[in-house]
Order: sequence, then C-alpha cells, then structure tokens
Amino acid sequence: MKVIKQTTAAAAFHEIKERAESHWRELWHDKPVIMVGTATCGRAAGAPDVLQAFRDEVKKRKLDCPVIEVGCMGHCYAEPIVIISKPGYPPICYGYVNPVIAERLVKEFILGDNPCPEFVIGALEANDLLPSFDDFPRAQHEQKIILKNCGHIDPTEIEHYIAGGGYNALAKTLGTKPEDIVEEVKRSGLRGRGGAGFPVGRKWQYCREAPGRTKYIICNADEGDPGAFMDRSILESDPHSVIEGMIIAGYAIGARYGYIYIRAEYPLAVERIQIALKQAKKLNLLGNHILGSSFNFDIILFHGSGAFVCGEATALAASIEGKPGTPRPKPPRMTAAGLFGKPTVVNNVKTLAFIPLIIRNGTEWFTGTGTKNSPGTAVFALAGKIVNTGLVEVPMGTTLRQIIFEVGSGIPKGKKFKAVQIGGPSGGCLPESALDLPVDFDSLQEVGAIMGSGGMVVLDEDDCMVEIARYFLEFTQRESCGKCTFCRLGTKQMLEVLNDFTMGKGAMEDIDSLERLAGEVKAGSLCGLGQTAPNPILTTLRYFRDEYEAHIELGKCPALMCQHLIAYYILPDKCERSCDACVGSCTVEAISPNKKRIKVIDQTQCVKCGTCLAACPPQYNAIVKLSPPSEVPAK
Amino acid sequence: MKTVSLTIDGKKITARPGEKLLRVALENSIYIPNLCAIRDKPEPSASCRLCFVEIEGGEEPVTACTIDVTEGMVVNTRGEKALALVRAGFELLMASHALDCAHCPANGNCELQKIARHLKASLKTKRLRLLLRELPIDDSNPLFTYDPNKCVLCGRCVWVCRQNIKSGVFGFAHRGFERVMTTFADEPIGADRCLDCSQCVEVCPTGALSFKEGKRPSTEDG
Amino acid sequence: MTASKQETTTEEREQIKQETGQILNGFSRKRPGLIPILQKVQGKLGYLPREAMTAIAEYLDIPAIDVYGVVTFYNQFRLNPPGRHSIKVCLGTVCHMKGGYITLDAWKRRLGISPRETTDDREFDLDTVACVGCCTMAPVTVVDDKPEGVVEPTRVDGILLAFGYERETKDKEKSESD
Ligand SMILES: Cc1cc2nc3c(=O)[nH]c(=O)nc-3n(C[C@H](O)[C@H](O)[C@H](O)COP(=O)(O)O)c2cc1C
Ligand code: SF4
Ligand code: SF4
Ligand code: FES
Repeated sequence: MKVIKQTTAAAAFHEIKERAESHWRELWHDKPVIMVGTATCGRAAGAPDVLQAFRDEVKKRKLDCPVIEVGCMGHCYAEPIVIISKPGYPPICYGYVNPVIAERLVKEFILGDNPCPEFVIGALEANDLLPSFDDFPRAQHEQKIILKNCGHIDPTEIEHYIAGGGYNALAKTLGTKPEDIVEEVKRSGLRGRGGAGFPVGRKWQYCREAPGRTKYIICNADEGDPGAFMDRSILESDPHSVIEGMIIAGYAIGARYGYIYIRAEYPLAVERIQIALKQAKKLNLLGNHILGSSFNFDIILFHGSGAFVCGEATALAASIEGKPGTPRPKPPRMTAAGLFGKPTVVNNVKTLAFIPLIIRNGTEWFTGTGTKNSPGTAVFALAGKIVNTGLVEVPMGTTLRQIIFEVGSGIPKGKKFKAVQIGGPSGGCLPESALDLPVDFDSLQEVGAIMGSGGMVVLDEDDCMVEIARYFLEFTQRESCGKCTFCRLGTKQMLEVLNDFTMGKGAMEDIDSLERLAGEVKAGSLCGLGQTAPNPILTTLRYFRDEYEAHIELGKCPALMCQHLIAYYILPDKCERSCDACVGSCTVEAISPNKKRIKVIDQTQCVKCGTCLAACPPQYNAIVKLSPPSEVPAK
Repeated sequence: MKTVSLTIDGKKITARPGEKLLRVALENSIYIPNLCAIRDKPEPSASCRLCFVEIEGGEEPVTACTIDVTEGMVVNTRGEKALALVRAGFELLMASHALDCAHCPANGNCELQKIARHLKASLKTKRLRLLLRELPIDDSNPLFTYDPNKCVLCGRCVWVCRQNIKSGVFGFAHRGFERVMTTFADEPIGADRCLDCSQCVEVCPTGALSFKEGKRPSTEDG
Repeated sequence: MTASKQETTTEEREQIKQETGQILNGFSRKRPGLIPILQKVQGKLGYLPREAMTAIAEYLDIPAIDVYGVVTFYNQFRLNPPGRHSIKVCLGTVCHMKGGYITLDAWKRRLGISPRETTDDREFDLDTVACVGCCTMAPVTVVDDKPEGVVEPTRVDGILLAFGYERETKDKEKSESD
C-alpha cells in the first residue's frame, strides 16, 4: 500500500491514542480491577445483582478498586462471569457468581490474598497458582480474533478500544487511497460472514466502480437465526470494532452515510451502539472531516421491527425505505442499485469487525489463519446438548468434532451425539459421519448444510430429527414474506406434511413427495429464504430417513419426543406407593392412585408435559415414556 | 435503433436490447405462463414464479420476466426442467384457490384456465393438499365483487389502481401464507376512495375481482 | 390479527390524533420515516389505532393501505391495545428442543388464548419470540420484559399464582365493596 502523503489524520489520531492509553494505564495502575460481564446472557443470569453487590461491597469498605462492566467472554454456560485482575496475580475468571460469592471475593481476595479457587473457571495467563485457559483442551483450537476484546474491555468506553489498538486502522486508511483499501481487502480473501460467503473485496469494488456519487454501506445486524447470538454479542461487547469497520468500508466505496440495521429484540446492543456512535463522533472519528481529513461519514441506526426476511439484503433496503420487507429479484445487484436505488454494500457485523484487523495487521497476517479459500476464523454460537454453550472462535478448517467435543466438551449427561444443526433455518442437520469435516464455506455446502451466520445446535439421542425439521419449517413458514408462490404456499404445504408425520399420520409415499416438493421450493423461490428453507428437510431425509419411516410406519418416535407418539407410563412394580410426588406435580391432575395405591396416569387427561417424570424421585425412577402410546398396557 | 437477435423455441426474433424476455416472447406470440408481469411497470415483481424458461448455457431455469434479452440468446420455453417448475408453481397456486369454475364469472376468460391448457395440467391438484383460507367476500362495491379466495396475489389491480388514484385503494397486507390483497384496515371497497373505474376488474387474471351481474361494461374496444 | 375492533370514544380518538400529531411533527414528510414513526407512536400509545394510521398516511402523503401493509407485515406492530402483562415464550431452537413448546402449551391452557392474543380481561398478552439469547437457561419465558429461566409447566403456574394472587385480592376488595 502506498501512502500518498503524511496526513494530518495520523497526527490527530496520535494525540487521541496517547490520551486513551494513559487513561487505560491509570485504570490498571497498581490496584485491583473487577470486571463483570453484563451482556444479555450475563444479565439474564443475574449479572446486574452481582455488579451491584461488588459496587456495594467496594464502597462499604472504601476500596480503590474500579468495578467495570464488560461484554461477553463467550463462556455463556457459566454466567454470571467476573474477571478480577489484581497486581501480583494473573487475571482470574470466576463463573456462576452470585451476590454472596461477590461479597466473599471482595473480602477474601481483594482485601485478603485468597483467590477463592473454588469459584475459579481459569486464569487468563499461565501461572503456577491456578489452571489457566491455555491449559484447557479448547485453547488448542480456539483463536480469538474478532472476539478478542469481548469480555475484556468496557464497551461503553471508547478509550479501552483505542488503547488496544482500535481506530489505528482508520487513521491508516485515511492516509491511503480508497482503491488501495479495496485492493487490500480483496487480497485478504475475506469472505462475508452473513452466510453466503461472498468475497468482500469484490463486493466493495463493484460498489466503488458503480456510477453515481451517492453510495451506502449497511451493516446487517438483523441476526434472525433463532439459535444464534454472535452478532449481538459483538455489538454488545465490542461495538467500536464494527463501527470502525463501517467507516473504513464507507471510505473505500465512497459512501457518505452508513446504516446499521439492528434487530428490535436487541435493546442492549442498541444502547451500546448508540453510546459508541456518540463517543466516536466526539473524538471526530465520525462526522465531518474525520481526523482532519476531507472524508465525511455518518452512521444512522435503524431499528428493525421483527421480520426474519429483512436479513435478506433487498428486503432490508425496502424496510429502511419504509416498505414491507419483501425481497426483489436480482439483478440488479445491491452494488448497482441498492438502498434508495443507489449502489450499496451490505455486510454482516462480523465481516465488518474483521476489516480493522486486516487493515492494521495486513493481508499475510489474516491469510495465515484458516483455509485457502476461506481464510480467517469462524465464530459459532454453540448451543443445545453441549457442555460449554457460548461463543467460540476457531480457525476455518477446524473439524466439527474438534469444535463439539474439544472446544465444547461434548454432550452432557453421558448422552449420545446424534446430529449437529448448522446454519439455522437455512442450514442442515449433519450426522456423526460428517464430524470429521473441516468446517469452511465450501465443505459444508457439499454435505447439504451451509455455514450460515454461525448458529450451531448440538442434538443428542433425545432429539427427534423429524421434529427438528418441522420446527425449522414452522419458523420459515411463519417468516416467509409471502410474496412468491413457492415459498408462501410451498413452505405451508411442507409444514402440513411434517405436522402429520410428527403425529404418525401419512404414508410412506408422502416422504418422496415431500422430498420432491422440497426440491421444487428450493429451485423455484425468489429469495434465499425460500431457496434454503427446504435444507433442514432435505438433510434430515438424507441422513435420518429411518426416523421418518418409524414415525409413519410404526407410529413411533424413536427419540421419544413427538408428543402425539408418546405416552407417559408409571411402572407399577417401580412405583413406591407411599410417595405422592407425581400426583402433586401434574399440572392437569391426571394422576391418581389405584386401589393398591399405585399411581396411574389417566391417558385421556395427560397433556404430556413431562412434569411427573421430572418429579418422580430418582431412587424410584418409576415413570417412563413409551412410543407408540399403544405400548401402555391396558389395565 | 440497435436491436438484438435471439432464438426462442427455434424461432428467430429481433428485439430492442434491454427488453425483458417475457415481453419479447409474448409479443411474438410465444406464450409463457405469467401472472405478475405488468407491461408498464419498470421493475418486475417476479412473484408468481410461472414464467420459468431454459436458456442455453445456463444450468437452472430462470424467470423470463426478469431476464433482459441479449444478442444470440437461445431460449427454450418447453424444457422439461423449466416446465416441471412451472407445473409445481401452478399446482401450489391451485391448491390454495377456491376452485369453482362452473359458478365463476371468469369462466372461459381466466388466465388460470389458460395456463392449465398450456401445461396440459389439471386445475385440480392431486399431489398437494387443499389449503384454503375462507376469507370473507367483499361485495360492497356497486359494480364488482372481490373474492380474496380466488386471488393469486399478482398485484395487477394494485398497480392499475395507483395509476388512477394517487392514494391507491388496494395494497398488500400481512405476511407469508396470510398475505392478502386488501384495503386499509380491511374495510369494504365500496366505502373507500374507490372511483368505481373498475379497471382493476379488467386486469384481474382470475375471478377474484369480477363484475356483478349485468354490470360488465360493453367491450367493443377490447 | 385484524384491524382494531375496539370501540373508541370520540374523546379517545381526539387524544390519539393529538398525540400522533405531536410525534409526527418531529419527522420529515418522507416515506423512509414510516417505520421509525410507527415505532414511536406505538411506543407512546401501546398500539397503532386506526386514527393514528390514517394521520400518519396523511402526513407522509401515502395511501393508508401502505401504512396498514407495513403494520401488518412486521411482528413488532400491533393493532390492538396490549394487555397489562406480557408473556413471551422463547421458541428459539434451544428453548424449543428443551421443551419450550410444552411450556407454550401450558401458557395457552392456563390463559385460554393462543399466541398473539390477549385475554378477555386484558390482563395478559401471549406471544412467542425467537431466541432472546439466554439459551443456557432454556426454556425461557420473557415475563414483562424480564427473561425467566427454566420455565416449565409448574413454573407457569407459579408465575400466574403470583399475578393471580395480586389480582384476586383486588377483585375481592371490589366485590366486597359492591
Ligand atoms: C432470509 C435471509 C436472512 C438473512 N439474515 C441475515 C442476517 O440476519 N444477518 C446477516 O448478516 N445476513 C443475513 N442474510 C444474508 C444477507 O442477505 C447478506 O448476504 C449478508 O448480509 C451480506 O453480508 P456479508 O457479505 O458480510 O456476509 C440473510 C439472507 C437471507 C436470504
Ligand atoms: S422466497 Fe419467501 S421470503 Fe423470499 S420472496 Fe419468496 S415468499 Fe418472500
Ligand atoms: S385481485 Fe386479481 S388482480 Fe388483484 S392481486 Fe388478486 S388476482 Fe391479482
Ligand atoms: S411473470 Fe415472471 S414471476 Fe410472475
């Protein structure tokens, strides 16, 4: 990259950086610091109370110990999470913290010198005292690039971001020709993280070269996949990385305005973005003459109103224009005629978060990670039947087995792995045999799934594959915009068939006709929603056809999940007659004792909620699920 | 003016560059099923998904209403892959159509019947289940009736209405399977700003919008 | 969901028009303002009454049906006044697989309504939501904007009991004074 002239931007930024760094040093200077993770996941688990407890305790004891809020470290399974950094100790991460533990930590660790190992998850640095994260098997695979700051800085303090190297890339960008930035992103091989994996540099180039003076950059933060929360986490934990990426993108393509299209269900992310935008503006990193240069750029925050289809780029643009979010046919591409008919780049949150890092560290650094055609890392939201739920970032090319069993620590309760659902409603379910697949954009496509934006739900032997297909179809059917024939009517038709299957209705031929219809909806739909909606059906049919057959032919749900195909039954010889646990637990009073005081479920009353099964004391374990329901002995 | 030459179903055709393939085919008497294409509307809505054709060199069928004609293009409107998709789309529409030709005012003058003939397909689908919505019929307007259960959501009436009245009476509401062509707050058409020009009825390809008995204007010009 | 069948009095209608007008004044008369306007008006009134929609259409100079089309397209907007308490059952993938649908059944049974409906006494709204990001506490129900973890059928009764207790005491006071 050639620097055209020694710009004032670098000088202006230098000053900002100095100030931020001294602010950061001061925070850490010779005193302990308590960091409480208060992203949405932490909040739901009780982080606000923990935060308050720490603050009260520190205040009561008049300690010089800042208590700051940070974002999400990704260890969602152990929320609320707290990191304490005390001089003389490595920074230590605590999990499952509650106000009582908070009080103890202040008393014993901040004031005393007992780091309370019983609450420790791990230290952030190698040391002789406590196990560190680096010793965990997952550390071998994890590589945090865009999640690096998450959980380690206060997202409401721009100085923290800058002290860690933030906005350096912007300063560098402003001294470089826009086309050189585009070239650099092209050379990096970065592919869009919103799902399709489109090369980012190429998209920027199309837009830059499109005729017209008004152009837009849009950050797609609509994250609608019902099992994913990567984008939310980044926006809540490190908003400036996305904003910096957007400003650079704006400069590169020649945009004056950018939009962040954010999902309505993410109030905390909205709040943190708003704060971040204000701070960036105040430091002249946004607005007119950014850092004294001739570049003007502003970001407008647009709140989505709840429609999954608005994640699709043309629907998203329609939504900003004040219309229903119905997609339009392409071409013209968004980069030719996008928002308000102007050339527009739409990029995902994660995609934009990579940009500053690539500009700052260079292409070689970036391509050093990942695979040849999918460089960099992939972020997944691990959820479902997995021990370590939460966010993980691994190099592209890591295998599914490594992600699930080493990073995620496998399946809880000794259950057996059945499938992993990747890519949400547009993705697919992959079986055990696909686990050694190195994950990248292309490999997943080959087995019928897609990278998607990073939802990864692990399913075990208790999960029914027909039901999971039905679930995703119910979602896409509900979220279809209804514009085009195949998606509007085809998803409904398929859902009806699947509904029947989960009730044991239907004939074996229906499986084939479902498969055919799925292929037609895929080929005939107007936009990505309809084109990918059949994927959960097609992959479950491909890998778990026997489960479909069991439902239809035997009226049996092998995973004992489909409510219509199971019955709860109390084993008479196991029922401890004097125990009444199930009777009281039943929400519809369907259980009563017979003459011998053995409990019996009235199958006509039972709503199959499973409460009794959970209530039966483990030492008796007298309640079982049977499928088909006809397995229940008559009297 | 510059022209492009292309071949559709073996027939050599010249057309203006930038024209949509569907228009060019129709103007040259080659029928391709279509419902949502509107002659003067600049952007195709491409929502009915019935105009699939095959283009030499392309792997998958494409919608003729969105494709610009180009020099040397070779088009096959009768390709098996394309027709299979068109049939599937048509079947889906018919599975949610309140089929009752015998009592329908559009009988004999219905685009759906025409498409069925073209595809040699039955109007009744055997493969799919009937998914009808049983929405109320609106006969508040003195001239015409609106039966949403026969509507295929092509958008022609919405478009033509807005050409005549700036604040259009019709539009689409709701989402997904519930999507419906309707008026503000689903109010009766007769009560609204409707000018009774009845052009919407003229353009409706089905019996969804139809003249009341004896209200059809004389059709000497049509 | 259909248009509001709620009877509004002339007074209420005037009030709605006035409050909508106040919000509209803060916006330019351009179509892209539509969704932010609707969000703001609903934020104020709790729903989007007919009068508000027509006032907005007039202000932006667009067909009223276009406002209605947008309102009915997006999940966020409602045409009827909300109930006092909102119950939202998370049906994200994880919550669903961990029995969110069973929890939803329990809510439906207890409240006697389906999702996107309000009880006759306007006490409760029932709705579903896709992933609120608390997958580790599945199944989750968001009660009056607070995510509650592990809401299984028995918890449903517990939560209702807490509300019901409150209400019963109020009702009792009322009937006694009658
Ligand atoms: C139905 C549908 C939903 C989508 N949802 C999202 C989303 O929530 N977030 C996202 O970034 N991309 C989403 N996409 C993909 C976008 O259309 C677009 O490809 C992406 O934002 C481009 O960004 P990228 O190049 O950085 O990946 C969705 C696509 C479809 C068809
Ligand atoms: S595929 Fe579905 S979401 Fe996409 S345009 Fe068609 S109906 Fe709308
Ligand atoms: S009423 Fe007729 S013209 Fe209007 S959208 Fe329906 S089918 Fe098309
Ligand atoms: S005419 Fe092409 S999709 Fe309707």
